[in-house]
Order: sequence, then structure tokens, then C-alpha cells
Amino acid sequence: MADREETAPHVAAVRELALEGEPAVGAPALIPPRSLGERVRRAVALALMIALAVLYLVPLLWPVVTSLKTQAEAAAGFDLWPDHPSLAAYREILAREDLSFVTFFRNSLFLSASITAVNLFLATLGGYAFARLRFPLREVLFMLVLGTLMIPDQIRLVPVFLMMVDFPLTHWNLTQTQRGYIFFGSSLALATNLFLMRQYFLTIPRDYEEAAKLDGAGYFKTYLRVMLPLAAPAVAAVAILTFQGTWNEFFWALILLGQGDADLYTIQIGLTQFTFQYGTLWPQLMAAATLAILPILLVYVFFQRYFVAGVAAAGVKG
Amino acid sequence: MAVAAERARRLPSVGSESVREAAVGYAFVLVPLFVFALFYLYPLVYAFYVSAHEWGGLEGKIGYVGLDNYRELRGDTAFWTWPPERATALWNTVYYTALVVPVQMALGLLMALVVNQPIRGRTFFRSAYYFPALTSSAAISAIALYLLNADGLVNAAIGAVLGHDFNHPWFGDPDTALESIVGLNAWTTSGTMMLFYLAALQSIPTDVYEAAAIDKAGAWRTFWKITFPLLKPAHFFVAVVSVIGALKLFDQAFIISSGAGGPAGSTMTAVLYLYRVTISEFNYGYGAAIGVVLFLIIFTLTLVQRLLFGKAEIGY
Amino acid sequence: MLLLLVALVPGAGLAGSSGSSQRTTVTLAGWASSPEETAALERTIASFERLNRDIDVEYTPISGDYDAAMLARFAAKRPPDVFYVDSLDVFDYQPALEPLNRYVQRTRGWSTKPFFSRLLNGFTVKGQIYGFPKDWSPLALIANTDMLAKAGIRTPPQTWAQFTQTLQRLRSANAVPGGAPACLSLDWARILAFVYQNNGAWVTTTGGRLQSVIDSPQNVTTLSTYLGWIQRGLARTPAQLGVGWCGEAIGKEKAAIVFEGNWIYSYLQRDFPNVKFAVYPMLRNKARGNLAFTVSYSMGKDSRNKAAAWRLLRFLVGKQGMGVWTRNSGFLPSRSDIRPPAGREVFIREAPWSRPWQFVKGFQRVIDFAGKELEKTFEGDQSIDAMLRNIDRETEAAIRRSR
Repeated sequence: MADREETAPHVAAVRELALEGEPAVGAPALIPPRSLGERVRRAVALALMIALAVLYLVPLLWPVVTSLKTQAEAAAGFDLWPDHPSLAAYREILAREDLSFVTFFRNSLFLSASITAVNLFLATLGGYAFARLRFPLREVLFMLVLGTLMIPDQIRLVPVFLMMVDFPLTHWNLTQTQRGYIFFGSSLALATNLFLMRQYFLTIPRDYEEAAKLDGAGYFKTYLRVMLPLAAPAVAAVAILTFQGTWNEFFWALILLGQGDADLYTIQIGLTQFTFQYGTLWPQLMAAATLAILPILLVYVFFQRYFVAGVAAAGVKG
Repeated sequence: MAVAAERARRLPSVGSESVREAAVGYAFVLVPLFVFALFYLYPLVYAFYVSAHEWGGLEGKIGYVGLDNYRELRGDTAFWTWPPERATALWNTVYYTALVVPVQMALGLLMALVVNQPIRGRTFFRSAYYFPALTSSAAISAIALYLLNADGLVNAAIGAVLGHDFNHPWFGDPDTALESIVGLNAWTTSGTMMLFYLAALQSIPTDVYEAAAIDKAGAWRTFWKITFPLLKPAHFFVAVVSVIGALKLFDQAFIISSGAGGPAGSTMTAVLYLYRVTISEFNYGYGAAIGVVLFLIIFTLTLVQRLLFGKAEIGY
Repeated sequence: MLLLLVALVPGAGLAGSSGSSQRTTVTLAGWASSPEETAALERTIASFERLNRDIDVEYTPISGDYDAAMLARFAAKRPPDVFYVDSLDVFDYQPALEPLNRYVQRTRGWSTKPFFSRLLNGFTVKGQIYGFPKDWSPLALIANTDMLAKAGIRTPPQTWAQFTQTLQRLRSANAVPGGAPACLSLDWARILAFVYQNNGAWVTTTGGRLQSVIDSPQNVTTLSTYLGWIQRGLARTPAQLGVGWCGEAIGKEKAAIVFEGNWIYSYLQRDFPNVKFAVYPMLRNKARGNLAFTVSYSMGKDSRNKAAAWRLLRFLVGKQGMGVWTRNSGFLPSRSDIRPPAGREVFIREAPWSRPWQFVKGFQRVIDFAGKELEKTFEGDQSIDAMLRNIDRETEAAIRRSR
């Protein structure tokens, strides 16, 4: 379930992001060890660090190793390394027709990109208005937006499902449709994102807008041409976290897209079906899990800074 | 300076300009507000309405039943029992929360402290610890099924330590299934907790430590006497975030038990039960009542958070 | 699709006597537990389409939560024309199912007689047939022949007493190193077969009224015998053996005897091709008794092509279609006029005393409850008596609700 709406943001990290330096989670400068006590302390810390890294990385690397094994080798019991590494498991899962990972992958990519785009547009536009434009009831409406963070998914399950089956007034059935999921999915992290964007816009000096105004730019143009480029780091952080959140999202995808029609499955739902039905085909299952993690891992490697700052800022959970 | 200049420029046309600004402001927030009204506020009200009806999947809305669904829930031994018993949805969830929250907090704090040391390569370690938190619940659950199966890596490691074969099916035994999910989620979530704690550690002024250094306080003593108490707001924030996250446990329980909450009900969580009643049994009225009850529990906890934590700390 | 259009255009207006000009699409839905199963069904469909050139069958395997997916389709009044129904769910599905009696009556030369009557009864509610069993399986005694030979056992056990002796011999011969003589699941879908063998039952109909009889004295004996085998160390549960289910225990040679169904074949052949095993009749005690796990082909009440749907359905469960299906899938025929796959006659002979895994509407909750009670009892937290009384209470409540 998307936990991230629930958690309150850390303003300090937003400010750090605004400074465009190393994110909030830097550390004191490297200083050479002086006393014996200091040296012991650092040795202990290093040992702990390495032990923890083993604990946190090995269980994730191990599946990759397993995905290179053959089924017979994996069924034979525990064995550290594949005797004959092969990509057979990947070929098999990609060639399947009933549970097509190519389709799942495409669906996830399409949905994540669409939702990120819609979400970002609404969050930046709304964030800009709440930060900069003056209108009656602005603060009340903003508190209302933040108030939605206190409405958990649990109470929304039944009403949202009923709404999507028979949409008010139009009577559309939006379950088992991608547009329905995009429509609803765009609401998922919106409050947090809007809040983050507002906080970021607040840190931008007004001089830039004034300059734009002197050039005769309207509000929308100011938002698009001046404020958005200035907020690039925050936009990037929000975009990356929204993409990751949607890619990994399970609960609503299961309810709105996961009821039987495999052509609509996201990669997470597809992976679950695979887990249920072929639980003992470990190399294939691990290959599938690896494929589900890979895109996010790549994004993480390249944009780590935004991840860390964004998480600290928004309180995003896995 | 800028403000004064702005005021000077705006003064002549303040009326029409401010109306225009307000109109544009409303236009910009209209769509987001519509989305919130549609997918948050309306469902909130609608949930209460549905919960007061008998409402089935094939039959549709059957009729008004008042508080009957809540009465049924009070006596539903699959949802909860008094005195508390394991293998009931609510108590499983409470038990899970009680176990997972301290573990992931302690792990998160430990990692934050370690990564905060002035050691070369700490950025790498920070990334490594955060890595499991990136993965999706579906992928990590599949991996956990493999790691914790009878001849998986975990048993192999335990066997190596014990010096004999060890083949415990962690998810197949009702006594260890939920506990294994505790381990799994403590492992994946602690990376996020680490980032929260790191942000808090960074905001502790360095002169506090300098004072401690002059007093020649040891590292251990400095931590317990200075750092730990100063982290109090962070402890509270992380605790509440963890508790609320833990009460929502669904994905891992669903995937690991193939949606059944087994073995013997050991992984049936409150949300999984809600899912089963609503989606698998099509009992909307009853499902809505469960949702409302869970909402009230979480809402109370969130309110406590807001009240105790104060506005400043959470940013608004 | 394009072919269909091409076929339609020239044929328009000419009432096609050949049938090739007017093609109807019939949708078929079910779940698939392996790619092989899907392939076998597709072959069966192909043979239907060869014989019925005016009907296109569109098969959609449903993955995930089948009940949820189907109920969503029922609620939208767009059910598949023909689909699977598990015997356990018949009462829950019944409002959405088309009664089939009149179709049977109108179809000359088509009889329900060849179906094993207990299986067909599983899909009959108040005299109306709501589906025909597409295949089935009872439980049987599956044994590792090498292990039996090692303990010098030539004839497999037939009664509970012989079973106990066999287990003791297997244990004293240490025929299953690193395992147990037998694997027994803490699962009512296994134990109920033993309950029947001891002249017990879970529910029974007396004077037209259904009632719970799970707390009868003979059931106490059955449960204490079954749990006793485990507690005396003659058998172990899958969890104790470190396996997911008892089939895996046979595969990994951690048990010499298990009670499973026809599904064990494809599993062992795929994952453990080297294990030597044989299938023997189910045990008996005071009586013969067994469970039947069966699934039907049923028709949606809101189906839009009922005539064509019936043609497909009656082919699939007919002698020819079921023949193609069982030959290709290795499933057991639910008709007595079709020979089972070679070597599986043992299962078929269980048919007369195999009762479908089926109770009343909404019984899944009671089964979940009973499973938890069983676990508690096994852990020693309560007596067998107390467990059966608790299950009895829940069963009575479910029966009251279903009325």
C-alpha cells in the first residue's frame, strides 16, 4: 500500500534540496583519527558497517545468482553458485504467453509514466498557487489538502471500489481499465507532492517572478517558464519518487487491475501470479523478481541524491 | 526591498489585479482539489453510508441495517476475540506492530549512527542499507519466500552455524510465518528509518558534542546522555510512522500466503481480512464497517501524533 | 477478427445452411495451474472448433483470485459463457448460474448417466443441475516403493491398523532417513476422508434439514487416531518435515507414505523425475470413505449465447471432449465411459464412496476457522473434544446463515 501519504514531511530536507548541495544527510568532515579511543571507535564502526552491508545486500544479490541456475539445479537443494550460469530462466519467462512479462513491463512503464506526469503537473501547479498566489480561503483549502493525509486506504477500499465499478453520474465501469487506474493513481501521493512543491516554491526569492512580470508574463507563463525551471531539483525528486511509488504500488493495482485479466497486470501483480502458481520454479521466479526491481535500481543508481533528499523530505516508505 | 518595490508597482491597479490573481489561484488549485474531494472526502463519507447497509456483490444495495454490520463485527471471531487470541485479524496486526516497530527503529538508528561516522565510503554504505527499501513488496516477498524456504539461504546459514542440517519452513509454520514477515519488513523498512534518523542527527548542533569532548565523556556515554535524548522528536516521528505503516500490513501477507492469510490464519492481517471480505466475498457493507473501524483506530493514533508532535516538527 | 469480417460480408443475407457464414463467439474462462494444462485445454477446444465451424471459442485463463474475478463479471452482467466452478463454491455461485436440466432434456441422445453420480450431485442443487464435472480426483495412498521394499513391506496397508503397523515397520527399519514414515497434513481436506472411513461426517441431512455432526464420538476417535500418528512420531506434518506440502515430502524422499490425489503425477514428473512411487487405494476403517475434489463446467445465467454455450459445454463434458481433455492433461475423467490415463485406475475405483468437498453456502469461513482450531489442538492448547465443539458451533451458525 502506498504509505507515503501518511507520513509528515521534514522541512529541513526541503531546504537542503533548495540549496542544491549534498542533501541533508551528509556527515561531518573527514578528520584523521587522533587518539587510540577514536581509532577503536572507528574500527568498530567500520566492522559494523561491513556486517550490516552484508546483511542488507547479500539477500538481494543471492536471487540474481539463483536466476542464473537451471530448474534442476535449484530443486536439488542449497548450492551457493550455479555450475553452468545461463539466462535460460529469463528466456523462459519472457517467452511465456499466459503471463507475459513483456506486457507487464510495458503496462507498468506506461502507467508509472502517465501517473507521474499527471501527478507532477497537478502538484506543481497547485503548489505554486498555494505558495505564491493570494486568494480567499487559501489557508483553509491548504489545510484541507493536508487533512487528506489522515484518510487511510483502509476506509477508502470499499467506497473507491464501488465508485470505480459504477462511477457517479457517468456510470462508467473504470475497474480493469488503465484509464481508471491512471485517474485514481494520480491522487495517491498528490497531497505530499503538492506540499513539497509548495514548500520549495516558498524558498525561491520573489525577484525572479517580478522580473517575469515586468516582461509582461502571465501567471501560467511565470509558473511554466520561471518557477518550474527554478524548482528543477524538487521536481526531479518528486518525479523520481512518484515513479518509484507507482512502479512498486501493489494494493490498488491488485484491486483495480488485478482481477483476472493478465493483459492488464502491472509487473508487481504479474509477479504475484507467478509466485502463486509457480512457487517452486525458483530460477524463473528470481529472474522475474530481478526484472521487477531492475528499473528502480537503475533510477536509484543515477539519481541517488534526489532519492535520499526526497525521502527525508517526504517520509516516503519503500 | 523587493517587497517594497512590488507594493509600489501594484498599488495603482490593486483591485482588478488581486481579483485576477485570486481567479487564477482558484483555477490552479481547482483540479487538485477536485481530485481530493473525489477520491478522499467523498469516499470517507460514502464509507459510513455503505457500512450502514446490507450490500452484496450480486444483489447490490439490499437495505438499511443501521449498526448491524458493526454488531456482527463485534462478535466476529475471525476479526478479533476477547481475550486476545493469535490468528485473528486484529490481534495478528497488533502483534505484528508490537514486534516490528521497535526492531526497525533500533536497526534504523544503528545504521544512521554508523553511517554518520566520519569514515570513507559511508555514502556507499548508506546506499547499501537503503537498497532493500527501494524494492517492491511483490519482488521482496518473492525473494523472501525463496530465502526462507526449507532449503533456502537462511536455513543454510543457520545450518552452517549449528553444524547440522536445518530445514525450517519459515512461512509454512504458523508459529514463525508472521514473525518471518516481521523480520522481512524490519529489514526493508529500516533503510527509510535510517534516513529519518540521519536527518535528525545532522540537525544536532556540533557544539553539544564539543562540550562533551571537553568533559572527556566516552562515546557510549555521549550517545546515551546526549545524542539519544536529543533525538526524542525523531524517535517519536519514526515511531508513529512505523506504527501507522505496520497497521496497514497487506502486501507481504497477501503474497506470502497466496491471499489466504495462512497457515492456520497466522498471517491474516486486518487489511487482508478487509480485502477478503470486500473483494473475494463481495460483502461491501461489512467491508465498509471494517474499514471504518480501522480508520477510527488509525485516525486516533494520527491525532495523537499531531497533538504530541506539534506543528513545527512536521512542517506546517 | 479480420477473418470473421471477411466471413460475414459475403454470407450476409444468405441464411447459411452450411453454418460457416454465421459465426458465434463463445467465451470460456477457467484457471490454469500450469502451461501444460492450458495447452491441453487449447487442444480440446481446437477439436471442438473443428467439429463446429460456426463457433469460435475464446478462452481466457483467469489468474489470481478467481472468485473475485468471476463475481466482478457476474455483477457487471457480463459473465463468460462457460466457466469453471469448484464444487466447494457451487452454492455461492448458484444465483449466477444457468440451470441446465432443460438443455439436457432438449438434447436428444445426451444422457447424464455416464457421470459418476456423487460428482454430478455435487453440482445439483434442489434437483437442478448447475454444471457438469469436467474432471476430478479422490485421495489415494501414495508410497515410495523403494522405502517400502527396504522395510520388507510387500502389500501396502489397507486399514488403519495395518497403516499403524506399516509405519512402525518403516520406522524400525529406518527406511526414511532424515524424514518420517508418513507425511500427514493438518488439513481438513485430508482428515475428512478419515472421518468418513470411521462412519463419521461433518454435516448430514436428517429429515430434510442439514445439521452439523462434527462433534460426534466417532470423530473424536478419528481425530485422536490421526493426530496420534503424528504425536507418536510415526508421521510428521509438512512443517515438521520442512516442506510446503506432503507431495514435496515424497519428492524429497522425506516420507514413505502420503495421501494425495492425481495431481501428484505431474508434480513429481516435473520436479522429481527420479523418485519411484506407486499409488494404492485409500485406507478404510469401519467403512470405505474418501473425498472428491471436482470442478464443473457451468454456464452463466446472463450468458448471451446460451445455445452455442451449451454446444460447447456438452462437448467438453461429453465422451469425446472429455476424452481429448483427459488424454492430454492427465486429469481423471468424471465419466465412467472414458478410460483414465494408464495406471490411474486406482483413483477411479474410489468413485463410489468419494464425497465431494462441499458443505453449505459461505462455508469457506468455517473451513478457515476449523483449520485454526486444528492447529491450536495440535499445539496442545485445547482438547479434541473442545475443538470439535467449537467447529460444531461455527458450522451450525453457517447453516443458519445459509437458510
